[in-house]
Amino acid sequence: MDSLHAIGFYVSATLSVGGALLVAFLPDRERRGLALAVTGLGLSGVMVTLSAGLAALVVLVCYLAMALLLAGPRYRVFELSVGTGWRQLGALGAAALFALLAFAAFRGDFVHTGYFGGSFGSAAIGRFLLDHDALATEAVGALVLVALVGAAAGWRVRERGR
Amino acid sequence: MTVGLVAVMWVASALVAAGALVAAWRRDLTASLAAIPLIFGGAAVAFAGAARFSAAGGPPIFGQAVVVLIAVTALALVALGVGIAGREASR
Repeated sequence: MDSLHAIGFYVSATLSVGGALLVAFLPDRERRGLALAVTGLGLSGVMVTLSAGLAALVVLVCYLAMALLLAGPRYRVFELSVGTGWRQLGALGAAALFALLAFAAFRGDFVHTGYFGGSFGSAAIGRFLLDHDALATEAVGALVLVALVGAAAGWRVRERGR
Repeated sequence: MTVGLVAVMWVASALVAAGALVAAWRRDLTASLAAIPLIFGGAAVAFAGAARFSAAGGPPIFGQAVVVLIAVTALALVALGVGIAGREASR
């Protein structure tokens, strides 16, 4: 990977991780949605620098859609009565999880190989998803169908309740 | 300046931990749904990095295909979560 790709990777990684932290701490849903969109943009940049062009495109579209869902008018507040102490304990657990995963990555003994694929790879991914791993693709398709039917049913119940 | 699999895994770890932080920190259950794309995004970065740097045993495109499936799955789960949260909040 040359220097230009490396700079792009680090800038995109900063965008994605910074956006993720903003999602955790921003108070209102519009700005949290914008932060999630920034995270998606950063993730997409990371994918581009990792020679996964089609994956970057799919990630960008999906994250923009998720940002719209979480910042849009369908959003309803559904608060839980969890104490501040438990939330702080959960935040400490998240920090410990990061330390553990980062240490495992640092000490990991990974295989290093050359990369012979293209920079976009749409044809190869299409062949892989629809030929080699068709069952996994169908499973995800079924999950998407169930999720959309469930979401539509939830929205219909709410519209009737008005 | 270069990038290796360790740097990619650090970014993936940071995203997974940020997702766990969102799930633990937000009091609003609908806002906690934002943890799903963050944790799934961390997994996606790890898969793409492994495909790019160390796909020794399988086809190098495998990780990228999993990234596509992960992104679509995250979108479906967030849509379902927002729908269920709206249904519960209307009661």
